This record gives sequence, structure tokens and C-alpha cells, in this order.
Amino acid sequence: MKAKTASTPRATSAKAAPAAKTPAAKAAPAAKTTATKSPSTSRTAAPKTTPAPRKTPARRPSKTTAVTEQAVTPEPREVVLVIEGLVKRFGETTAVAGIDLSVSAGSFFGVVGPNGAGKTTTLSMVTGLLRPDAGMVRVHGIDVWKDPVAAKRAMGVLPDRLRLFDRLTGSQLLFYSGTLRGLDRETTLARSADLAAAFGFTDALNRLVTDYSAGMSKKIALAAAMIHSPRLLVLDEPFESVDPVSAANVTEILRNYVAAGGTVVLSSHSMDLIQRICDSVAVVVNGAILDAGTMESVRRGKTLEERFVELAGGRTNPEGMEWLHSFSD
Amino acid sequence: MVAQLLRLKLRLLGNAFKRSPWQLVGLVIGLLYGFGISIAVVSSLIGLRLASTQLATSAVTVFGSILVIGFILVPLTFGVEDVMDPRRFSLFGIANDRLAGGLAIAALISIPSLVVAFIALAQIVTWSRTPLSVILSLIGAPVIVATCVLCARVATSIAAFLLASRRSRDTTGVLGIVLLLAVAPLFLLLLNVDWQRDGITVLDRIASFAGWTPFGAVWDAPADAAAGLIGSALLKELVALAFVGLLWLVWQYLVHTMMVTQQRQPAAKNYHGLGFFAISGHSKAGAIAARSFTYWMRDARYHVSLLIIPIVPFLLMVPLMVAGVPTNALALLPVPIVAVFLGWSIHNDVAYDSTAIWLHIATGVRGRLDRLGRVIPPLVVGVPLLVVGALICAPLYGDESVLPALLGVGLGVLFSALGFSSVMSARFPYPAVRPGDSPFAQPQAAGTATSFIQSISFTATFLLAAPTFYFAFRAVVDGDDWGLAALASGLVLGGGFLALGILWGGHIFDRRSPEILAFSVRN
Repeated sequence: MKAKTASTPRATSAKAAPAAKTPAAKAAPAAKTTATKSPSTSRTAAPKTTPAPRKTPARRPSKTTAVTEQAVTPEPREVVLVIEGLVKRFGETTAVAGIDLSVSAGSFFGVVGPNGAGKTTTLSMVTGLLRPDAGMVRVHGIDVWKDPVAAKRAMGVLPDRLRLFDRLTGSQLLFYSGTLRGLDRETTLARSADLAAAFGFTDALNRLVTDYSAGMSKKIALAAAMIHSPRLLVLDEPFESVDPVSAANVTEILRNYVAAGGTVVLSSHSMDLIQRICDSVAVVVNGAILDAGTMESVRRGKTLEERFVELAGGRTNPEGMEWLHSFSD
Repeated sequence: MVAQLLRLKLRLLGNAFKRSPWQLVGLVIGLLYGFGISIAVVSSLIGLRLASTQLATSAVTVFGSILVIGFILVPLTFGVEDVMDPRRFSLFGIANDRLAGGLAIAALISIPSLVVAFIALAQIVTWSRTPLSVILSLIGAPVIVATCVLCARVATSIAAFLLASRRSRDTTGVLGIVLLLAVAPLFLLLLNVDWQRDGITVLDRIASFAGWTPFGAVWDAPADAAAGLIGSALLKELVALAFVGLLWLVWQYLVHTMMVTQQRQPAAKNYHGLGFFAISGHSKAGAIAARSFTYWMRDARYHVSLLIIPIVPFLLMVPLMVAGVPTNALALLPVPIVAVFLGWSIHNDVAYDSTAIWLHIATGVRGRLDRLGRVIPPLVVGVPLLVVGALICAPLYGDESVLPALLGVGLGVLFSALGFSSVMSARFPYPAVRPGDSPFAQPQAAGTATSFIQSISFTATFLLAAPTFYFAFRAVVDGDDWGLAALASGLVLGGGFLALGILWGGHIFDRRSPEILAFSVRN
């Protein structure tokens, strides 16, 4: 895998490191400069440094070789999410080995990776749920780990595999989420009703969340994540076990949100889905980003799935399974 | 197939030794306990060989009935986790009858079954009196083992299958408590019997009844034979055999049904409106309080804490009463005790949320608001309860001038306990039963620190309220204005500790929130 990483032409989509490098100083302006330099929708800094992530900061300037393709588009966009040198270790294993990324406002950003690649770990550190061992996360210019309260205000979060307060009814859970986000009563109630109608669980609002199916729980958690109209939505596996019709509705809602200037970062291992709905993507394998950028630049004319398998490796040629072809009964 | 199931059960039992050291310690203690009990019972059964037939009959029958009933009630009320649940084998395509038989035989390999086997063998010694009693006890031995094992299998499956839905699990938890409550007076009744004088008669009377029930018949049949009552002996043996047969049919039927019915889906209940949220306003602390209130009402784990609180004073008063403490002095106990337990009840509140606590962390709600919200329900319930309690208990004591002292101690203890709990639950959460599990279940991850933290928070509560206790003591002994001093110190000191606890606990919560979530994820 390492060989593969190394061989990946580094130049492609990489780079925004200089801006990122700018010390703590003015985060937002720095980000803006980057954005201007770069093209289309989202700017992604992807130092493919995977092999030696330990001391990334020191080495970063060298890979700043970045070449921006089609550096034409003028319109500067704010970089709403900046991740620099994010590292998380659990004992001996390094779950996230130095990830750098920046996502500009108004993009629909997908994070793909095989099981255990560190997607959830990364997103948890972005949302303030998991303390990083090293690195920095800035949301809308606010450091998540230095000023969590302000940073969290700008984010809507859907974590994966964490419980909900499921002894509340659906409407209570939405009301609770809205109130904790500081919304007043009328706003919360009105938005709850809207969300329930849009996501299609109005008739389940008076049931306990613990009695919901997996897909229903996902939908109500998603609704709770966006009730305060955040600037940035961080969604971990938002479509897992959600039925196709609901998924289409949710996608539509998210698209409109992005069109209005919102930003969505979502993870999934469904390549088709990401390819279909995202305009930018990052491929995470073994806790490092192998490629990131606009969908086109990452795909390189292939489907995302083909490109992903190529990057991630690990496809085995299934030999010696012939016994499976002669049935036992 | 039976051999494979047996090997699986052995492997599962063996793997129990590969877990964490503390679980191992628990297991070893369990083993020693089981071993000790069986030695004690076996030796008394052997000793009963020398006792009169009458005494042996009563002792064996009563003990045996309790044993069999225990094999039914324990899994039903406490919901044992069944590693050999028939449903786990449904995809292997094993014939139902063979599976039912195999699982029943595999169930023999367990500590309780082994203990029962020893006991069943020992009762043969007890009844080696007449030829018929020997024959009946020889037949009885395997019947006893089969009865106990099948009872446990059937009860466990019913608990896992019929009672597995969330709501019924909540109710069985409460049922368990009600059962405990119902047994308590029975226990008191038994305590009141003058055992020296009437003990044997009472035992005889119970035995003569239990002997005809399916639970006691198998134990009583050889006894009747030894006493020369051949007719009733044979009849009882028949009852016992019929019971085993019935259990076998029920077990087969259960396996059969469970194979094709994976999970019962109870109809979900509809609630109306926002409940407590409708009155909480839109302050964050209010919402958190409403959430806590809702959980106090809907979550069986909280029900247990709530129901235990009124019981504890009586449990403490009974031994004191027996020890000869004057009854009127006992009237001073309930108020402080209820206050301690109410305040203590939230000392691990964060762990009860399990990973759902992420919502508080992701929304960036301030720690002190979280702390405050969680303290409100015990305050709203506790303050009126303690005031009313004090108003009732002071006249019971016989001197209404202790009222201020009683109030001061009650409220002071409640406040300072809540304050200390607010700090502890943020700083030292320890593994709790997960949401939706039986409230009597053991937490999945046993923490070594559990009992340490519990005793620390308990002791600290008393230390924080020590001045108030002192003033109240003086008030009871000397009277005068000490009572007012106790009231003032309770309100001021307690209130101060409460505010301090909320602020400090809130600060800890803010600082450690990712660690709190990491803790919840681990447990």
C-alpha cells in the first residue's frame, strides 16, 4: 500500500499547504487566499505524505509542489473547514496518521474509505467529540479544540453508532436538540414539524425513539443535526440503513442546503452514492488521505469505485474457492 | 450432535476463564461459593440420615421445593443472558427434537447443575432407610436434576423470548422489586416465628403442603416411603415424573416456536405532546431537567433507584429495632436516609446516558447547565418529600421541637449530596447498566473502581454535612436553639456545596467532555 501511495502522482489535486502553514495568525484570510488560487468548488489540501506522517509539519513545505489544474475560476470561497496534521493513536495503533484537508463553503464533500480507515475517528475529532493527539481543526475560522463552544455552534453533527436519548419520543428528541442548540420554543416546534414532514416521520413523532427502526433513528438523528441551520453539517454514514426513497429525499434536502451556501461533509463506503451526490471527495485509507479534490480530479475518468480500489488496494484474486461451486446437499 | 453441543458448552465455560482478571476473580468467587454451598448442603443431607424421619422429611422437602422454585424465578426476574439460546442454532438446520434434547443435556454442564447433581446424590444417602425409600430416591436423583435443569431452560427461554421486548423488560424489572417487597413481610412473618419452640411444627406444615406440589413431590416421595406411607409415596413419585414430562413438552414446544419466531415485535405505544418539555421553557438547563425527569419516569434503571429509596429506611430500622433501640428514636432516621440516597442517586448519572451523552457534547452545552439540569429532578421531588417527612417524623419522635433540626439535616444532606454527586458524575463515571438492559443486570464492563467510587461519594456526603449533623445532635440532646443552628447550617452549607458542586462539576464536564464520551464508548 505504501508503494502505491508513493507512486500516486503527487501533483494532482494537492495543495493548500502554504495557507495552512500560516501560523495561528489570521485563519480566515489565509484560507481565502488559498481559495482564490484554486479552482472549482472545493479546495482540498492532500499532502500524500502517508508513509511518514509522524513529523508532518516539518516536511510539509517540500510537498507544496502542488500544481493546480485549471486555475481559472475567479470566485473566492471561504474555506469553512480546515484540518491540519490531525493525528489520533489508540495505544499501539495509529487510527489517523496526519490528515490535512480543507473544505470550502458550498461544497458537498464526501469522505470514502474501507472499513477501519479512520473516517469516523477523523469526523469525531472534527466535531469535538474525540480529542486529537496532534493537529488542528478550524471551523469557520474557529479552532474547535481551543474554542469548542463557538465552533460547535457552527456545526451540525450526525455521529455513527452512538446512542440517542431514545426514551424520548421523536418530537421530544427534536425539541431537546433544538433547545440545547439555543433555539426558542416556537422556532424549535416549527422546524421540528418541517423536518418531520420533509424526512417522512411525522406519524412516528409520538413514539419512543427506542421503538424506531434503524433507518428511522438515522433520519431523526439527521433531522436533529440540522435543526439549528448550521453552517457546516458533518454526517457520518448518513444513509446507512435508510431506505432509497428517504435517501433520495434527504439528498434533495442536502443539495438545496448546499446550493444555499451550506457545506456538507459526509462519510460513506457507498462509492456510487458519493459519486452521485458529492462534488468533492477525499479517499482515506489507513488513517491517511490518498487522494482528495474535486470529484473529476480524483476519479480521473474512471468510476469512483474503480479509482478507489486502485488507490486502496487490497483486492485479492479469489483462488481456491472452487469448493463453493459444488453444493453440499 | 449432542457431543458437539456439549463441547461447545465446555468451550464457553473454559473461555470464561480467559476474560479480564476482575471477571476471573468474580468467577472464582462464584465457583467457590457454589462449591461451598454444595458441600454444606451435601453434608447436612448426609447428616439428616441420622435424624428422625419426620425432621428429615420436613427439611428436605422444604429445601428442595425452594431450590426448584429458585431455578424458575431467578432467570425469570433477573433475566440471565443465555449463551445457548435455541435461536442461535436456528440457521444450522438441526432437527428441533434433537436440538431440544442436545441443549437440555448441554445445560447439565454448568455450576448450578453440578451443585444440583451433588445434592440429588446426597438425598439418596438421607433416604437409605427402607428398600422402597432407597428405590424412590434412586429414581428421584435423575428426576431432581432433570427438573431443575428443565425449569431453568424453560424459564430462561421464556425470559429471553416472551419478555425480551423493551417494555416488558422494563416491567419485569419493576416486577422483581414488587416481588422483593412482597417477600419482605413474608420474611418478617418467618422471623417472628419462635423457631426454638414452633420451628419444627411450622416446617412440618409447609412440608406437608409442598410435598404435593410438583416442586416438592420428588423430594417428598422417598420420605413418605420411609415413613411407610407407600400409597402417597408412589403418587408423589408420579407427580414428580409427570412434572418432568410436562417440562420436557414445554421445552420442546418453546424450542419449536423460537426456531421460527426470531423476535416478538410489540406494538409501539403512542405518547402525546412534549411531556415534561412542555413545561420546561426553552432554557437549556430546563430542557436537560425535563430530559432527566422523563428518564426517571420511563427508564427501569431509574425506577429501581426510586423504589429502593423508600425501602432502605425500613431495612435499616428493622435490625435497630431488634437490637432494642427505642422506637421513637428510630423516627429520626427516615428523613436523613432518604436525603442521602436521593442525593446519591445521581452520582453516576452521566454513565446512565451511555453514548447518548454525545448530544450534550456536540451541542456545546455548558457543563454547569448540564449539572444544574440533572440536579433539578431530585430537588423538585426531594425538597417537598423531606419537608413532609420531617413534619410527620417529628411528632412521631414525640417532640416537635426537633423539626428544625430534622429539616436542616434532611435538606442539608440532600443539597450537599447533590453537589458532590455533580462533581463525581463528571469526574469519575463508572460503568453502569446500559440503557434498555435489565436494571438488575451486571454492567457489561465491570470497573475495578466501582465500589471505591460508591463508598467515597457516600462517605463524603456525610463529611460535608458533618456540622449540620453535629448541630442537629445537640438539638436532639440539649434542645435550645441548636435546632435553628442545624437548619441554618443545613441550608447555607448545603446550598453552598450544591452551588460549588454544580460549578466545579460543570467546569470538569467542560474540560473533560471528550474523555467522558470516550469512557461511554468503552463501556
